[in-house]
Amino acid sequence: MLMHTDRTAATAGSEAGRQGQPAVQLDGVTKRYGESIALHEAWLKIRPAEFMTLLGPSGCGKTTLLNLVAGFLEADGGEIFIEGTLVTETPAHQREIGIVFQNYALFPHMSVANNIAYGLKTRGIGRKEIARRVDEALALVRLDGFSDRKPRQLSGGQQQRVALARALVIKPKVLLLDEPFSALDKNLRGSMQVELKQIQRELGVTTIFVTHDQGEALSMSDRIAVMSAGRIRQIAAPGDVYCRPADRFVASFVGNVNVLTGRLVERRGEAATVSVGKMRLEVPAAPLAKLAVGDDVDVFIRPEHLAVTPGTAPGSLRGTVTTQVFQGDHIDLYIEIAGVARAPVLLRAPGIAALSSCPAGAEVGLIVGSDDVVAFPPEARES
Amino acid sequence: MIKRPFLGWFVSPAGLAALGLTAAMAAVFQFSMRTYIPGSLDVGGFTLQNFAAMLRPLYAFAFWNTILLCFETAAFTLILAFPLAYALVRTRSSAVRSFILIAAVTPLFLGEVVRTYSWMIVLGNNGFLNTLLVKLGLVERPVQMMFTAGGVIAALVHVTMPIMVIMLAAGLSHIDRNCEKAAESLGAGPIRVFLTITLPLSMPGIVAGFSTAFAWTFSAFATPQLIGGGRVSTVSTLIYQLGFSSFNFPFAASLSIIGLALSLAVIALLKQATRPLERLASAT
Amino acid sequence: MKRSPANIALRWSGRILVSAILLFVLLPGIVVAVTAFNDRAILAFPPQAWSLRWFWRAFSYSDFGRGFWNGLTVTLWASSIALVIGAAFAIAIHRYNFVLKSLLEGILLSPLIIPHYTIGLGVLILASQAGTGRGFPLVILTHVLLVLPFVMRSTFISLENLDSRLELAASSLGATPGRILLTVTIPLLLPGLLSGWLFAAILSFNEFTATLFVSSQATQTLPVAMYNYVREFADPTLAALSVIYIAVTALLLSFANAFLGLGKILNVDAH
Repeated sequence: MLMHTDRTAATAGSEAGRQGQPAVQLDGVTKRYGESIALHEAWLKIRPAEFMTLLGPSGCGKTTLLNLVAGFLEADGGEIFIEGTLVTETPAHQREIGIVFQNYALFPHMSVANNIAYGLKTRGIGRKEIARRVDEALALVRLDGFSDRKPRQLSGGQQQRVALARALVIKPKVLLLDEPFSALDKNLRGSMQVELKQIQRELGVTTIFVTHDQGEALSMSDRIAVMSAGRIRQIAAPGDVYCRPADRFVASFVGNVNVLTGRLVERRGEAATVSVGKMRLEVPAAPLAKLAVGDDVDVFIRPEHLAVTPGTAPGSLRGTVTTQVFQGDHIDLYIEIAGVARAPVLLRAPGIAALSSCPAGAEVGLIVGSDDVVAFPPEARES
Repeated sequence: MIKRPFLGWFVSPAGLAALGLTAAMAAVFQFSMRTYIPGSLDVGGFTLQNFAAMLRPLYAFAFWNTILLCFETAAFTLILAFPLAYALVRTRSSAVRSFILIAAVTPLFLGEVVRTYSWMIVLGNNGFLNTLLVKLGLVERPVQMMFTAGGVIAALVHVTMPIMVIMLAAGLSHIDRNCEKAAESLGAGPIRVFLTITLPLSMPGIVAGFSTAFAWTFSAFATPQLIGGGRVSTVSTLIYQLGFSSFNFPFAASLSIIGLALSLAVIALLKQATRPLERLASAT
Repeated sequence: MKRSPANIALRWSGRILVSAILLFVLLPGIVVAVTAFNDRAILAFPPQAWSLRWFWRAFSYSDFGRGFWNGLTVTLWASSIALVIGAAFAIAIHRYNFVLKSLLEGILLSPLIIPHYTIGLGVLILASQAGTGRGFPLVILTHVLLVLPFVMRSTFISLENLDSRLELAASSLGATPGRILLTVTIPLLLPGLLSGWLFAAILSFNEFTATLFVSSQATQTLPVAMYNYVREFADPTLAALSVIYIAVTALLLSFANAFLGLGKILNVDAH
């Protein structure tokens, strides 16, 4: 596209930074508000051109982390590097970052063109060059011809494009996105996500994306940093976060999950065996390191990894269907399993066959059809 | 179904009040076109003589003087109130916030007389400022500050500060802080952020505050009367003199009418004139 | 962003500037407070000897005592009447559309820009033409007109913050409009109404310019009595009175700030 030439120029400038140097690096960054710790020793390395998502519930410290990278907040400890340069004490206006806010924060008293031109003017770029780059940026976000509008004359989606263009036109070293989709309605959100991801990949701009929406995080990110209570709990690719959660918080925050009570049977190096009722399951051993054989464990199983089995297959669990919920392409079955699960277990049965084969009250057998099962010590023992 | 329950009950008392106010204003208007009968509270027939008399230099000068005084007061008030309002809205310490709020707002409720009186003690020849200046050896003898336009303006600025602070703070508190952060991330330093984002976005508050300060100053009586001591004549002091020294109510009424018309015109002009200012930022 | 030297300089110059302005705001109050304890009968600074005699004189001077009670009578009547009229009207303009709505609103808000002496003069002319004397009703009427805008504004802000679904919920539970008004709307508006009343009362108690026109010797309020005193005497009695004034007002406002949130009342809280 139009920005192509610029992109090569921009990447050439930071070519040195590509030699294995992270685009953004946080070394033990801490932020306190009085007594409470908003961010506790965050360590994070973001690769050039990577799309890194900070995922977590509100108050987990993800926005604090974003503000620290942007320079809007001052760290109480640790160091921040952008493209290898120490920026911990660099003011926000010298960090060369682009940011898109949840409410977009377009300058209401300026036209679309002047909004986009703002960052170029602060850099003392010539009038002609500004005009050219503003046009390019407008073309990039498909808003040609909107340059004279005021922000309030634009729809939510259009405002977001302007905010994106305004942040990208300065060729930022990092693009920060603070829950940019939460103000859009559901349909628009989907298409904007696709478009943003496309632009991000095309420009190869390093991006930090803050969201509390796990669906958004899973679908857009190269890697996800899951956060809770001011700590980064896990940094991994979306698939790994989903299938190999590092702790019980990550397991329950990302996606639906059933928690079953089991027992540690055996440990062999990397893997361990746990039993749930008569069923035996292979799980990663690392989270169970502190437990002894025979101790109770909580086993986390995704609804889509469970399947109904006819009859009494060996090693299956037996339970009673309490509710079935028709979801269109699949059926949600809630199954009560005495002695193993405190709440009814959710099972996702594909197709509509289960509608007739597993009515409420029916006895069914359950098997696990996947290796992606994890187990953690029971809540009280993990601290 | 009754869609507007109690509408009559809600509106009719207010209607009566509005009627009273309108009647009072109509009375002023009506009196402004009556003939003055010296030595009597009664008035004569209809005439436009009162308005013609206003073209005399004495009165024309009083009008000009008043408008100038109002402008200067409003301008100085704005300059002093803005930093205070900014600090009030932006400080992170709630103690500082409460202190500024109480300090800035209390004078609003002290009334013109108390405040003017306190300025008389500050500005007097044996007052605080002169004593200080003489003690510091900056001047040999007391500087005349009472009975000067400067003294009146200082006291009037103090009178209009609270309302200006409140209006500016209301405007500032509605500014989206993310706009400033966005500007910062785009490379604008603190001063540039202030000039291109904060200031233009607080324009509505500035216009409202300036107009109100202007109107209040126009309406002020005790301050120019006591601190001006008759040597700073304004529309308000003239009206009082005419009304209560010579009982020339018709002429006082016509002065009021012209004064009101003038101050409304100036405020309307202000609103017009400041509109391009809001656009200024987008051009820079 | 705060660590660079330029920013630190900017920050400190800002602090110094704000402190200097605060000093300007507070200076007259401080000077008056010191003067009030001056033993000598002239307005000189700093005092040579200290005394409380001007406080005694302030309390014993009969015009001040009468002015205080007159002022209190006028204030209580005026702010209460204004509260009823203003709150009802604010509810009406917030909820309903009716003929002459914006005209009525404009007229009632106009005392914010019409000079007080014009309104005072108008009421005075009206009274003299109607042949009624300059009694309390006249002063009270004038004050009602002057403080109405503040009560309306305060009520209106509270209405904006009121969740109208609460009234719909009450209505769905079978409450009649009158019952909703008494059990839902007014209780929820109470802080706003109270602060509106308090503001109106303080403003009315201090009103001077219009009162000067419409009051007589028998109905003069405290500010008018004080004005007359300044014109006759130059001793610190008024300073003593001012100190009491400032203390009571600051106390009332701190009270309002603690219990009602002054920032919210004045609509200056950051969003």
